[in-house]
Amino acid sequence: MKQLLDQKPIVLLLSALLLGGLFILPLVITSPALMQIIILIVLYAYLTSTWNFVGGFAGVLPLGHSAFIGIGAYTSTVLMQTFGLSPWFGMIIGGLLAAMVGAAIGLPTLKLRGAYFALATIAIGEGMRVLFENVKQVGPFKINGPSGISLKLVESSFMDFQFDSKAPYYYIILIMLLLVLLLTYFMMNSKVGYYLAAGGEEPEAAEALGIKVARYKLIAMVISCFLAALGGTFYAQLMLYFYPKSILGLDLSFEIAFIALIGGRGTILGPVLGALLLRPVSELTRIYLGASLPGLHLIIFGLVLIMVMRYYPAGIVEPIRNLINKYIIEPFNKEKKSAEGSEADKAD
Amino acid sequence: MSLLEVTKVTKKFSGLVAVNEFSMTVEAGQIVGVIGPNGAGKTTLFNCIAGAFPPTSGSIIFNGQEVAGKKPYEICQFGITRTFQVVKPFASKSVLYNTMVGAFAQTQHLHEAEHIAIEVLQFLGLDHKKDIVSKSLTLPERKRLELARALATKPKLLLLDEVMAGLRPVEVTEMLPIIRKINETGVTIVIVEHIMQAIMNLSEKIYVVNFGKKIAEGDPDTVVADEEVIKAYLGDEYVVTQH
Repeated sequence: MKQLLDQKPIVLLLSALLLGGLFILPLVITSPALMQIIILIVLYAYLTSTWNFVGGFAGVLPLGHSAFIGIGAYTSTVLMQTFGLSPWFGMIIGGLLAAMVGAAIGLPTLKLRGAYFALATIAIGEGMRVLFENVKQVGPFKINGPSGISLKLVESSFMDFQFDSKAPYYYIILIMLLLVLLLTYFMMNSKVGYYLAAGGEEPEAAEALGIKVARYKLIAMVISCFLAALGGTFYAQLMLYFYPKSILGLDLSFEIAFIALIGGRGTILGPVLGALLLRPVSELTRIYLGASLPGLHLIIFGLVLIMVMRYYPAGIVEPIRNLINKYIIEPFNKEKKSAEGSEADKAD
Repeated sequence: MSLLEVTKVTKKFSGLVAVNEFSMTVEAGQIVGVIGPNGAGKTTLFNCIAGAFPPTSGSIIFNGQEVAGKKPYEICQFGITRTFQVVKPFASKSVLYNTMVGAFAQTQHLHEAEHIAIEVLQFLGLDHKKDIVSKSLTLPERKRLELARALATKPKLLLLDEVMAGLRPVEVTEMLPIIRKINETGVTIVIVEHIMQAIMNLSEKIYVVNFGKKIAEGDPDTVVADEEVIKAYLGDEYVVTQH
């Protein structure tokens, strides 16, 4: 915590302002449609941040993360529909289930390098979708095959995770995002983070330095899958209707990977910036071109990805960080220096 | 008891015998050299000791414990750390970050790891480069970073795989005192090297390998006078002209 607060005052001040702004946002924006778009931006930033634990730090490219999001959505929903269990508990159960499935998938696949891991995860993600589309019922749980599940509408209440207005959804996902970003920060600045990065970049060298690379990758995978599934439950409660193609398909997996790659994988803010840039594109193409050209947003994502990879291979987080340094931190430091005379600037 | 006892280690790759019943002993505090022509099996021997692949047969006793067939990360936890002939820095990370990855073998805490890493970097004269991304280092610096990372794990035995390969003569002469300095802090060193002059200078004891077999062992002067060694390096006819 000390490290986190050990930043330049200007950065702390701006972060505090930004956070404050985020928390009063629902008071300013009254349109539920706009609020929905903003909630989805935050949700995608959250989902991509959970992806980042594996895709950003463990040096592999997972392209089937929707499998775990789907597990979260289906678990909490069927438990509520069948037993009336609060989605909050279902969320945790879904998370644990996804973590177990993630571990089972990760054990054999995390040893694969590069494209092979990506292909294996695509196969698993797609396999999961086909499975859910072809099963109508598992024991007492109705999952309705390809037509999906509509959630029973109940009165607005926290325990039932259903609300009349958009604001509560916004606050819930915003807090989830902030917590996962905080977790990312602490992981990056810990032994686990260093070992993950080392194992991702040069596994042989990492093992020679005493790192059991496979175990650290598995830890990242389990954390990532658990958190992704929580996002799945949130998605279900927000939309109140989902079907295999909406939550288990390749579209969702790819969109998350696109957001991470364009934003900057392996960084804290990359997924947030990526979601801020790409979600509006996705929404606008869906609204204006959805009827005539469905899936156009993925083509646009592809074009943006090519451009970003060409000019900023580390993602847009890189130029943005440079801009912030140049226009906010440096001018401020200069002022401080001239104000405090010759005192050396020890910050950073 | 010797620190490292390698007994009759053999490594076969399908038909090929890369290392053939090789034995050697290393006492604590020594610098021991392993030399031999290209493809003699030096690096394979190293890989067997460091756990990169298990020996087909034979035993490797380190500090009284059998380590043959253990995984590389277990070998490191026993106290043997290796460097790589082709340097493998964590390229996108800074020099300090690279060294801290090694230092985490000793501690769980970030600031302690940083402390250890900075000490090691100072010891090797790399501390002024600590914030530089490792991919922009020069080759001699990368070789030194490789050493720094290995040293940060606080090994009892350091396995150096051609740390001087690819360096210019002047850079080699800079590297020699560094290796001696590391040895003086109590780290035992086994060094595989091509460059004869370098290894003659450093080692107390030398093993010569050719076609996977040990052809000579002893102090540097004995080894260079050995007929088999001259044959291996220069060819049969030179043995005759020597006399």
